[in-house]
Amino acid sequence: MTRLLLPLLLGAFVLLAGGRLIAHHSFAAEFDASKPVTLKGTITKVEWTNPHTWFYIDVEEGGKVVNWAVEGGAPNVLYREGWRPTSLKAGDKVTITGSRAKDGSRTANATLVQMPDGKCLFAGTSGPGGTATDNCTVGRR
Amino acid sequence: MRSTVLLTSLLTFALCLLPSDGSSAQWHGYPTPGIPRLADGSVNLAAPAPKTHDGKPDLSGIWLSGRAVFDLRQALEPGDSVPFTPDGKKIFDERRADNSKDDPSARCLPTGLPVRALLRTPMKIVQVPNLTVILYESRTTFRQILTDGRPLPKVIDWPAWQGFSIGRWDGDTFVVETAGFNGLAWLDQAGYPATTALKLTERFRRRDFGHIDLEMIIDDPKMYTRPWSIFAELVYQPDTELLEFICEENNRDLPHMVGK
Repeated sequence: MTRLLLPLLLGAFVLLAGGRLIAHHSFAAEFDASKPVTLKGTITKVEWTNPHTWFYIDVEEGGKVVNWAVEGGAPNVLYREGWRPTSLKAGDKVTITGSRAKDGSRTANATLVQMPDGKCLFAGTSGPGGTATDNCTVGRR
Repeated sequence: MRSTVLLTSLLTFALCLLPSDGSSAQWHGYPTPGIPRLADGSVNLAAPAPKTHDGKPDLSGIWLSGRAVFDLRQALEPGDSVPFTPDGKKIFDERRADNSKDDPSARCLPTGLPVRALLRTPMKIVQVPNLTVILYESRTTFRQILTDGRPLPKVIDWPAWQGFSIGRWDGDTFVVETAGFNGLAWLDQAGYPATTALKLTERFRRRDFGHIDLEMIIDDPKMYTRPWSIFAELVYQPDTELLEFICEENNRDLPHMVGK
């Protein structure tokens, strides 16, 4: 199943990567769609702010706990996708998939957030009508 | 006994005033009154377009582009291309080469009017006598389109990010002409340039209750060899409201925007 899911997920990334730009700034100026990242850990802080939401997450890297900053979509867009300011809270254990920043810092752009209950939320503003499907890949409305 | 009945009545009355499920406190999600609906309660997008007292189509309502576009090339007619002048091509290529890292929009400065109609955030058109206003959710910005019969200013003594807009009716199409731009806003995120010579014409046609066909004609002889058009379909958004969008609140991207 995992072997099937990974190419699917990568496929979704590649689909989105073509001309992928997000609402407030150029995606490609900051992030590299060809460098996907999966961050599994504990949310430490949530900023429900414009022009983008930011999630901070502690993950284990090589036996050490490090903190990543993850950019999500604009709160307005996420709100209409079903998010609320309290959807994600410090202490939540989640898995975030997205793209790494080009500058090599522990910064990423989120595509999907798998919530503590296993459900996925589409976290980006990339492309029109992106939405999380039942199997935690990105689909189209 | 009487006081118990009175108390119960008062309590019942008080409970009736409280929202039962929080729905009366909703902003996004509160049912838009007075719009045509189908039997299942959803908006009837195919109903006739409403008209104002003077018999013109009423464009008022909340609208969202049927698809988000960040590169205007995606909104050209099939087969068309952007007719750059050499200067226009040079600027555009430079912006593409570093992935639009210098876009003023990324600094929370205004987006160009063409792309602002095509974002994933809606806009509200308010049409009143002598004036049509567009309230954009994006960046909590607004535009005034004056329809009191005045011409565009002959002399632009203070060029503006959004220019100056007048509107008139051409049959059932609302035609907005805008000039007096300061030339600083990019037309979209890809980086199509514009100068102070830009004249923008927008043609809004509400073809039914739920849809506006929008053509935007970009005329800037310094950057383009001929006027060129992009097209969008705006879709009526029921049961929602504009949400606040204060771009300057927490703009953390700039230090990471390396470009290449």
